[in-house]
Amino acid sequence: MKTSRTARGTAEARLGRAVARLAGFVAGVVGALLLLPSGAAAHGVVLDHRPVEGVEVRAAFDTGEVMDEAQVSVFAPEDASEPWETGTTDERGRYLFVPDASRPGTWTVQVRQAGHGSIVNVTVEEDAGVTGADGFSGGGYGALQIGLMAAAGVWGFVGTALFFMRKK
Amino acid sequence: MHLPDGIVPATVCAAGFATAGLATWYSLRRIGRQEDPQAQVPKASLFTAVFFVASLVHVPVPPVSVHLILNGLLGVVLGWYAFPAILVGLFFQAVMFGHGGLTTLGVNATMLGVPALLAALLFRSRGLPGLEARGGRKLTGLLAFLGGSLGVGLTALILAVLLFTTVPASLDATAERAAIAALVLAHVPLALVEGVFTALVVLFLLRVDPGLLENHRGPPGREPGEPRELAKTG
Repeated sequence: MKTSRTARGTAEARLGRAVARLAGFVAGVVGALLLLPSGAAAHGVVLDHRPVEGVEVRAAFDTGEVMDEAQVSVFAPEDASEPWETGTTDERGRYLFVPDASRPGTWTVQVRQAGHGSIVNVTVEEDAGVTGADGFSGGGYGALQIGLMAAAGVWGFVGTALFFMRKK
Repeated sequence: MHLPDGIVPATVCAAGFATAGLATWYSLRRIGRQEDPQAQVPKASLFTAVFFVASLVHVPVPPVSVHLILNGLLGVVLGWYAFPAILVGLFFQAVMFGHGGLTTLGVNATMLGVPALLAALLFRSRGLPGLEARGGRKLTGLLAFLGGSLGVGLTALILAVLLFTTVPASLDATAERAAIAALVLAHVPLALVEGVFTALVVLFLLRVDPGLLENHRGPPGREPGEPRELAKTG
């Protein structure tokens, strides 16, 4: 008799302790959740997407060599001092950006690296979005054009030399 | 090596035009003091043509590629004519090939022309009394090599200082400085190449027509009445 009452007593005590621990654990978890920064408590990630009209800038030296890791500054219209966005070209010399359609006008993109660089203008119209050619224009001159220009220039200098060499 | 438009601030462009103007005026004044200022024009014109097309010749120095400058060669061979020659060459490079720019013409002319004049000064030292006695092809070749290298080396140095001090705040300064350092280092092999090229050209001229180099015997602006070698050969 005595032993069974004692046994019941210890069983109740154990149950009481277990409940107390459980309550403590729950309180701890709730407390921890409340103390954590709100963002970290969220586990879900919401991805969304929409197509936008952007601009791809391609940078290369006139030798055809791509200009990778070059620094790009994008200037919004009517603010030529503060860049609207900065970044670097990828390993193929390309840089993508989406101009703010609510600021129509001429957007200026400057690409530079160690004193080499150039500027290109992109026209953004209020309703039509980005305007311009669909593909790359190729830019620069072809080898034949450069050869002809070089020949013309050299002939000018040779002609000057001949003019001053004619003997009086 | 040619600064295009829009890279350096307007104050630097203005200062470039001021120094280039001053150097052009002084060079023309020294040229005008020669007995026949036109005598050297054919040579200067031909070397301007060489300078004009040289920037199209690219020398790969991994990971970048640099192009010939030849301002040291022009200084060594042309003396005071080098500055106007470089100015004219740069103008046509900017207008025709888009190398450099018109707003930076003064900066580029200073950056290339002043080292050219220093190279001319160095090469002229072969005419010094003590050196002349021992001089010969070896000394002439060595001085030409040094002059040709000095032109490129000094130009790269001026470029580095200009770019380092004018990196805009909007750029990542560390990356830009690393890129500048890489570009300047790539000009070390180019300086050696141009030094060798200058020496070869000078030794060739020395063999075929020493008169073409004779204007460096005396000071570039010879006093009137001094014998004029080139008139006889030309």
